[in-house]
Amino acid sequence: MVVIVKKKTRKDEKLEIIRAEDLWEPVGPTPMPDLADLRNWDMRLLKTYKPFYAPFCDLCCFCTYGKCDLTGEQGGACGIDMPTQQGRIVLLACCGGVAAHGAHGRHIIDYLIEKYGEDYKIDLGTQVAVEAPIIRTVLGLKPETLGDLKKAIEYVERGLIHLVSSLHTGQEGSDLDYESKALHAGMLDHVALEVTDIAQIVGFSFPTSIADTPLVDFGWGVVDKTKPVILCIGHNPATATSIIDYLNQNNLQDEVEVCGICCTALEVTRYSKAAKVIGPLSRQLFFVRSGVADVIVTEEQCIRADTSLEAKKAGSALIAASDKACYGLDNVTEKEADEIVKEMVEVGKQVLILVPEKAAEVAVKVAIKIARQREKELIEASQVPELVQECHNCRICDRNCPNLLPVGEAVEQAGKGNLEKLIEVFNKCLGCGKCEQDCPRNIPILKLMQAVASGETFKLRSGRGPIHDVEIRKVGAPIVLGTIPGVVAFVGCSNFPEEIDEVAEMMEEFARRKYIVVASGCAAMAAATKKDAEGKTIYEKYPPDFDAGGVLNVGSCVANSHIAGAAIKIANIFAALPLRANYEVIADYILNRVGACGVAWGAYSWKAAAIATGCNRWGIPVVVGPHSSKYRRLYLSRKEEDDWTVMDGRTRQLVDTQEPSPEHLINVVESKERAIVTIAKLCIRKNDTPQGRQIKLNHYIALHKQYLGTLPDDLHLFIRRTTDIPIFFKKEVMEYLQKVGWKEKPVLTLPTLIGTYPSKVPLEAVIH
Amino acid sequence: MSIPYHYVNVPTGFKTARIIEDASEYAHLIKRARRPLLLLGPLTLRISLNGRLLMEYGVDIAKAANIPVCATAHTKKKLLELGVTPESTYDIIEIINHLKDKEWRGVKKEGNHDLVMFLGFRTDLGQQGLSTLKHFAPHLRTMTLCKYYYPNAAYSLPNLKDDKWGEFLENLIANLKEKGV
Amino acid sequence: MAGMFPVDVGPQYEGEAIRKADFYVEFGGPDVKSKFELVTLKTMNEVEHEKIEVVGPDIPELTEGGSYPLGILIDVAGSEIEKEMEPVFERRIHLYANYIEGFWHMAQRNDIWMRLHKNSYKKGLNSLKEIGKILIFLYTSEIPIIEKISTTFITDEKKVEEFLPKALEVYKARDERLKGIREEDVEEFYSCSLCQSFAPTHICIATPERVANCGAINWFDGRAAYKLDPEGPVQEVKKGECLDPIRGEYSGCNELAVVKSLRSYDRVYLHSAFEHPHTSCGCFQAICFYIPEADAFGIVHRDFVGNTVMDVPFSTMAGQTSGGRQVEGSLGIALEYLRSPKFLQADGGLYRVVWMPKEIKERYKEATPQDLYDKIATEEDVTNADELVDFLKRVGHPWVKGEVELPV
Repeated sequence: MVVIVKKKTRKDEKLEIIRAEDLWEPVGPTPMPDLADLRNWDMRLLKTYKPFYAPFCDLCCFCTYGKCDLTGEQGGACGIDMPTQQGRIVLLACCGGVAAHGAHGRHIIDYLIEKYGEDYKIDLGTQVAVEAPIIRTVLGLKPETLGDLKKAIEYVERGLIHLVSSLHTGQEGSDLDYESKALHAGMLDHVALEVTDIAQIVGFSFPTSIADTPLVDFGWGVVDKTKPVILCIGHNPATATSIIDYLNQNNLQDEVEVCGICCTALEVTRYSKAAKVIGPLSRQLFFVRSGVADVIVTEEQCIRADTSLEAKKAGSALIAASDKACYGLDNVTEKEADEIVKEMVEVGKQVLILVPEKAAEVAVKVAIKIARQREKELIEASQVPELVQECHNCRICDRNCPNLLPVGEAVEQAGKGNLEKLIEVFNKCLGCGKCEQDCPRNIPILKLMQAVASGETFKLRSGRGPIHDVEIRKVGAPIVLGTIPGVVAFVGCSNFPEEIDEVAEMMEEFARRKYIVVASGCAAMAAATKKDAEGKTIYEKYPPDFDAGGVLNVGSCVANSHIAGAAIKIANIFAALPLRANYEVIADYILNRVGACGVAWGAYSWKAAAIATGCNRWGIPVVVGPHSSKYRRLYLSRKEEDDWTVMDGRTRQLVDTQEPSPEHLINVVESKERAIVTIAKLCIRKNDTPQGRQIKLNHYIALHKQYLGTLPDDLHLFIRRTTDIPIFFKKEVMEYLQKVGWKEKPVLTLPTLIGTYPSKVPLEAVIH
Repeated sequence: MSIPYHYVNVPTGFKTARIIEDASEYAHLIKRARRPLLLLGPLTLRISLNGRLLMEYGVDIAKAANIPVCATAHTKKKLLELGVTPESTYDIIEIINHLKDKEWRGVKKEGNHDLVMFLGFRTDLGQQGLSTLKHFAPHLRTMTLCKYYYPNAAYSLPNLKDDKWGEFLENLIANLKEKGV
Repeated sequence: MAGMFPVDVGPQYEGEAIRKADFYVEFGGPDVKSKFELVTLKTMNEVEHEKIEVVGPDIPELTEGGSYPLGILIDVAGSEIEKEMEPVFERRIHLYANYIEGFWHMAQRNDIWMRLHKNSYKKGLNSLKEIGKILIFLYTSEIPIIEKISTTFITDEKKVEEFLPKALEVYKARDERLKGIREEDVEEFYSCSLCQSFAPTHICIATPERVANCGAINWFDGRAAYKLDPEGPVQEVKKGECLDPIRGEYSGCNELAVVKSLRSYDRVYLHSAFEHPHTSCGCFQAICFYIPEADAFGIVHRDFVGNTVMDVPFSTMAGQTSGGRQVEGSLGIALEYLRSPKFLQADGGLYRVVWMPKEIKERYKEATPQDLYDKIATEEDVTNADELVDFLKRVGHPWVKGEVELPV
């Protein structure tokens, strides 16, 4: 008998993984896309939004043929040129981001599957039926269990190895193709984000399907210093939630303070509203040095590499709880908890414990024991002059500061008893400590700041997870008819150029103008640093609904998936476009028709680079602050020179709209004033109805006048017919249009890039 | 070897700026240029020298040598108050994006610029922008007017204290006003 | 806009509520007997352009915290303005007033209610003349066919009471005109494509007896919108031949459907939920849904919380109804359509409605025949289709009893 075994192709494998036979939607053209599957879409994006490179370093030092200075016409010994090398480094950063988010996700999935099993069901509550818009679109899988989430992470891991491989010497030779891979990495990153946050919500019972999540306490002064204090730093909530559990189980919840820095803080406050948020990354060193924490528990990502040293200096105990950051400490995971406690309390040993529950138990016990023995004294204003006595104004601190702050002057003035400048510097301080590192007189600058840092409590909205399907349905009409001028998301790290509360100011500007304002991560925390005249933060002032004038915190950085997810859900729930394995159509829809804009004012990390690049592939533009010029690459158009032709899906004709909307995919802006104006402009889309365009232009014009003093210099590019002109400015604008010789332009209802480049996707797919 | 004032701007390759301390030499370079362009950054709104806003020095330089101005960030408003209408309001990255294209027609549509001057930007952002032009705009030269050494510029001042800097700028303006190259 | 007016003006102030404790003064509203607003078309000679008059005390003469009567008279003149545009212009008062920072306007006609925020008063919005200036600025900016415009604010109580009956007469005349008109009486309907961005195959048709699904555009609105912006999203549609007067099928609408729906359908019934129902995008105010167990219809509106009698909430049903497709038994409608004499005419009209949310039922009480009102179930009466069928039998709903004849 002859047995014919049918060969299984890679495509068959994919269809099996995504359960293609389960027809919740037909499977689109690109299930689980590989590196080159969406390349044509990338190239189309890059044609309009060309890579702009600002090399951070002239050299390539990646292999032993180097170092190679790539300036001018010189190439590297391997033949690489400067633009390609920059693209390569950008991809490296994005891969690092994918790995960070993906590994965090993998950790959580493995941990939860061990606890609950692969068949543990995903349920995000009654308000979220489209549970995983990103996984549905990218993979074509509707995840129902933790096991399904594991499949998604495996897909990410598989793609990552290929991407990292292309970084090797003698791989990619085109900057555009490195960018295409970076965009692919960004897409994988978003899958990893979604996997992680869904797993966390489901595994740790974080709030979901609730908009009105509790307001929690934020600020370095919110901690009750008279109690034992445990500080969690990092991004993985397994340990932090275990600490909360341990306290609750042993009735110690009122006895011990649990606080967090960075994403862990946002996660643990989704788990327990008694936990406190100290602040974003920029407050890490400051708080550690204050010695307020009795026990510091670190897991992974964005933790200072010298935490072990700093903890010792401050007299705080240290438990490292992740294999990503072991600090050279002994791995005592196998030892008995009480034995570990003894060593830590009696001889001050710092340890590595890789089981969250054990780390939690040890942390609590040690905290209670050593808190009794520790003095927690903070520097007061009166002590400052003495501490500053030795300063001889060499200004080496100024020169070391990565935020270019006048630290020396602030210290000098503080020595004379005038603390004004020191307060200003503290509000802009990134908390790196470089000012102190080289100080020849060892002035304890970060400690001095304790005297001026406001110990006030601010209210921060705890993370709420995904946007609700019902919310999406409700805002669909207002977005179309124009009462909602856009969705603006403030995300990313705290490497801010100026005061930490600039983010709060920018958010307020858009909330009061009835945009939908969303925040996440360190930016969500920075948003809580400003109080109005009535003492309210932006979260207390505006409702937490995904609606006009609403201000939401989706959660930690992995919750950024819900922001892209919201844009995807608009395409699906409101416009009834199928998601399944349909990336190109959905991204095309978002680019052309969803007025959303991301703002990463203080991005610093590789993770942020991956998230932003992932947003770009979806068609969401991002504005970044000046430090982000150091990422080396932006995606910019030149509005008046470039081609803004799109396909009109209704008439099937190409139309030259001459309208740069959005103008850039990622752009560096130096000042918050210019950022605000740019954000308003970046929410304009080609399919705006006349009412919608009026409202958007009303804000763009009003803001431009307020901050730059005149009508926008490119206004004529955004007016298609006179019905686009906002009523209030109509007379002025009509005069201006006449002056510049403006001519009417077509109004499109179905603008699409499909049909303007080679693609497997038929034009019909855009209309469904 | 000169060290930038802000250590984050440490040079990383062979090609670094020519440091010029003599205002008349700066003036000569500016007058020799066929189509200079002055970029004003937001720090011109915040820095004062001898009781005058840095932006006013920028305006004087532009007027003395008839140099078109690109008002980046939100500098346009103050510039208008000082009676100057900038030829462009592209933001810093946007203007650099245009400048690096040899074929671009420039802010006055007369042809791209051959000397680009920077005044009033944060040094880290300035250094990055200058990097783009250093590597990708061989058709032009860059010149910085702030009191910091910018390794990525073509021509840069050394690190200066405020008094010397103010002196330099005044001398530069005086030199520019003189007839002849 | 800095400098032009004492406060900011823009669409972001729409929907800004002013609490009792925060208003400087209040005009109209439930505590005041006499109030009205009226726009009248006059001849060019009759209007003094940009004249603003206050008859009676102005705001500084009023006591802080008080509620006062007010009549707003706006006279317009222009060679292209038609009398029918008066109500359209009048509704602009609401829009423009709400654009003003710290000024709130509610309702219309003789129901108006306005509040001025203390903060805006302090900033300098302290006279009705200032309000008048802003209104005139917005009118002349937006509507070029207004060649002359003047406003009068009457705050003298006696004079308001004196003028009120005249205003009421004008309103009544307008309503009579509206009520009287039927689809048979006109040659053109109006189509609106505002939502096509979200539903490319959807086109809405407004007739004198059918309001657009979103509720924002009736036939008169459509007419005015088309006149003001002939290239805009609202277009005139010649109804053509009436192919089926019961179901509301017109050759003109069918031809339009072919073009506007990108050929996805070529026939539309304006007044039936079966065979060729009118499509929706996603912004309809309510859904008229078929209940198989009762062979009748239910109505559910957007704000309804919880499950309908079909055991699913509005949002689930909306998914079926939306997207520009003709879905039998699932019709997106404006709530005002319930009042239309042709409501669901082919399928039995209101007499075939067996379930409605309590809120809607009460709101449209006078539109419902008396012998039917108590026989329509709400969420308080039944929770699922089985209970509904029992209820209907118990109360003797005319449709269930077989007493309703479908028109032929």
